[in-house]
Amino acid sequence: MEYIQISIDGILYGSSYSLIALGFSLVFGVMRRINLAYGSSLLLGVAIALWVENKLNISIIFFIPIVLFFCSLSNLYVERFCFAPHNTKAGVVVSMISSFAIWMQLDEISSQLLPDRTHSFPSLEISTFEFGGLFFRGDQILNIVIAFIIAAILFLAVYKTKYGIVLRAVSNSADTAKLMGCNTNLVNSLTFIVAGVIGGIAAFLVLSTESQVTPLFGFWCTLKGLVAMMIGGLGSLTGAFWGGLLLGLLEAHLSYQFGPISREITTFSILLIFLIIRPGGLMGVNIYKDLKSRDERI
Amino acid sequence: MVEKTILEVEGLETSYDMIKALKGVSLSALSGKLTCILGPNGAGKSTLLFTLAGILDSDRGKVVFDGEDITNQKTSNLVEKGLALVPENRLIFPHLTVQENLLAGAYTRLAKERQKVEEDILAMYARFPVLKERSGQLGGTMSGGEQQMLAVARALMSKPKLLLMDEPSVGLAPMIVSEIFSIIKQLNEEGISIVLVEQNASKALEIGDYFYLLDQGKQIFGGSREAILKENIIKKAYLGESTG
Repeated sequence: MEYIQISIDGILYGSSYSLIALGFSLVFGVMRRINLAYGSSLLLGVAIALWVENKLNISIIFFIPIVLFFCSLSNLYVERFCFAPHNTKAGVVVSMISSFAIWMQLDEISSQLLPDRTHSFPSLEISTFEFGGLFFRGDQILNIVIAFIIAAILFLAVYKTKYGIVLRAVSNSADTAKLMGCNTNLVNSLTFIVAGVIGGIAAFLVLSTESQVTPLFGFWCTLKGLVAMMIGGLGSLTGAFWGGLLLGLLEAHLSYQFGPISREITTFSILLIFLIIRPGGLMGVNIYKDLKSRDERI
Repeated sequence: MVEKTILEVEGLETSYDMIKALKGVSLSALSGKLTCILGPNGAGKSTLLFTLAGILDSDRGKVVFDGEDITNQKTSNLVEKGLALVPENRLIFPHLTVQENLLAGAYTRLAKERQKVEEDILAMYARFPVLKERSGQLGGTMSGGEQQMLAVARALMSKPKLLLMDEPSVGLAPMIVSEIFSIIKQLNEEGISIVLVEQNASKALEIGDYFYLLDQGKQIFGGSREAILKENIIKKAYLGESTG
């Protein structure tokens, strides 16, 4: 019974990793680039939203769209500064390093807006309920449901709609997509905005579950999202979803065995093991095979 | 009948940073004709096509397409105006299925005329039966010749008035090359204007109407098939050693 409870807690907690990993995965999937400033831009979005809330004293219903708006805006800012100017093949490393630099900048602005170590964050106040001797946190149930819905919507949008084809065409080869008349700049910006909205939803759900925000939230998002994405498979949307849940599950069990201090150690151990035995992640291995076969053909 | 000029290029100069790849190229392509641009490696043939298609910006010169000055316009505008490029090495989308590749080719028309796009895909399948067989297959898993057909079909999906083709024969078996060239000829006979860049000069001579020769970024000859066959120097320099 104890183990079942821990598994449930782990999976529910992991759903927040899933959401962040989905945002990462979307950007990586379309641009084949890693945005290290993702977590920080979410933190900045939250910080600005909290600042606005303090000034205007608004209710939670208006607060949510404000969080989403500022998260996507700060994500767009990162795209304009770190990714749009370096959109050639040679720019892959440049944009990753510049996203690292802008991470510092965003964190600094956030800590100016939220000068205390912890700030209270509006909670959704959904009660915990019991079912068959097991406890479920209502807000975490909401979290996993929303993570599942967003993963499903993204999956359908990318693989079943005509605009998804454009997205995947840009992902396959931005230069060739340009030849078809596609405005790849616009596609990239839109991808960052959507990733910002997804990240904003994730940030709101995580922070309202904890009812507080600390300056370390950005770093936490980037790390956990990146690890969850790499476990699930680079650029795979379903992989990101399952990777997050798996990371949550493993973390919960291992930190139960070895104490809560070992939580971060387990995160990185899991990543390391995955990088050694399955570097493409759970669902990303095929990408490597495909690329190889294409390179051989050309 | 007065022949209409679809593409007029005047003194085009393009450079990659400090290196000048095109040093003043002038040519014109007639509507409904097949114009070939020949020349050895590094002559600037691909650079010329990239400049025409709006991928590279020119430093000097003028490009007039269908009576409109299109010098240094963006590719997305040019595709909407009816200029399509079939790139060298096909460059199909390897992780998209054949059908999705065709849809991507109709990018500029997706929002406005979905129904028409679906019909056009069926028309492409009728023209290239092999693509119909493979419609659900990933583009990257097809053979080189099939990929070339897909690249041509994808470019046709944007309903171009002028098709720019960059080395369609590169890396293909001789039999497949003949097939591709007969497809090009057929498209041309159906009224699509084509500008073809080719290294395989003897193949191009079989189907082309007008020829331009480029060497080191300069245009050194322009004229009809009869004229190019008469020019002995050109024959020696560019056709004598070619195979295929």
